[in-house]
Amino acid sequence: MHFTSKDIDQYVGQKEYVDTAVIPLIELDLSANGMKASANASEYMQSLTAILEKQFKGRILLFPPVSYARESDRTKLAVDLQAELRKTSFQHVFYLTADAQWRALDDLPNVLWLPAIPTGDMDQTFKKSVMEDQLRQVLPLFMKEWTHHS
Amino acid sequence: MSNNRVSRRQFLGYTLTGVGGFMAAGMLMPMVRFAVDPVLQQKDAGDYVLTGQAVSEITEEPVRVDFSYEQVDGWYTSDVTNSAWVYRDGDKLIALSPVCKHLGCTVNWGGDAEHPTQFFCPCHAGRYEKNGANIAGTPPIGPLDEFDVEDQDGFVAIGAVKENTLV
Ligand code: FES
Repeated sequence: MHFTSKDIDQYVGQKEYVDTAVIPLIELDLSANGMKASANASEYMQSLTAILEKQFKGRILLFPPVSYARESDRTKLAVDLQAELRKTSFQHVFYLTADAQWRALDDLPNVLWLPAIPTGDMDQTFKKSVMEDQLRQVLPLFMKEWTHHS
Repeated sequence: MSNNRVSRRQFLGYTLTGVGGFMAAGMLMPMVRFAVDPVLQQKDAGDYVLTGQAVSEITEEPVRVDFSYEQVDGWYTSDVTNSAWVYRDGDKLIALSPVCKHLGCTVNWGGDAEHPTQFFCPCHAGRYEKNGANIAGTPPIGPLDEFDVEDQDGFVAIGAVKENTLV
């Protein structure tokens, strides 16, 4: 499900089934050299989470990407996000990011780090097969989490 | 000498006509667009989307067939890719929607190793027979939807979604 008022209405009635939150974490690098790569990472993350949502619509609530400046304090961000999520009843929370800085931090559980693939210049069909391939990398991680604690 | 000059009255006349005309156009244009757009955009419910899947390759084993079309959502136009599970039943083509009737995940044919001849929903282990009938005791409460489907010059074409007619 998406973070839209219509989906949230449904979510509220089906909380026991929609037990997984997915939060994309996106770094904004607006320097002349970094902007294109940053945009690509954002595009990649949003395509990936969109097809993930399509596959698992009834079990996942996909949040809008949390975007932050390059210099933002990620530890603080992690603390704030977790505090917010504690108000919910999600059993599983996944953070998806292409920002390598999260790899060095262990403030957040279940951060899936994926190096962004430059999909922007690919033609539609090719892009689609690449993204499905990416999805296949991520799916087992979700299945594993779900079978371990449910 | 001075009869070529634009008088104050004429100047005002021209100017106001100009501005007025511009304003009228400003008001009219959106009205014309409202009137015309829906007509231009109208998409016939009977439209079929041609896929790249050859009909001759379709067997009794369901295969996933992708198809894309343009979707307009408010101001945002996007290419949507959808898929259908297509198989042959005698000389008829059957196309089922992959959208689980529980909460909308995507189902897979043979997705559960223990039930290789059923559709499986990975979200809450919903299962369906090959004709889309939901299996009692699993969360879905109805059968998978069906698509209109057609053979267009040897290729599968997918039409509108409808309620399952096979169950
Ligand atoms: S969404 Fe398919 S079983 Fe729940």
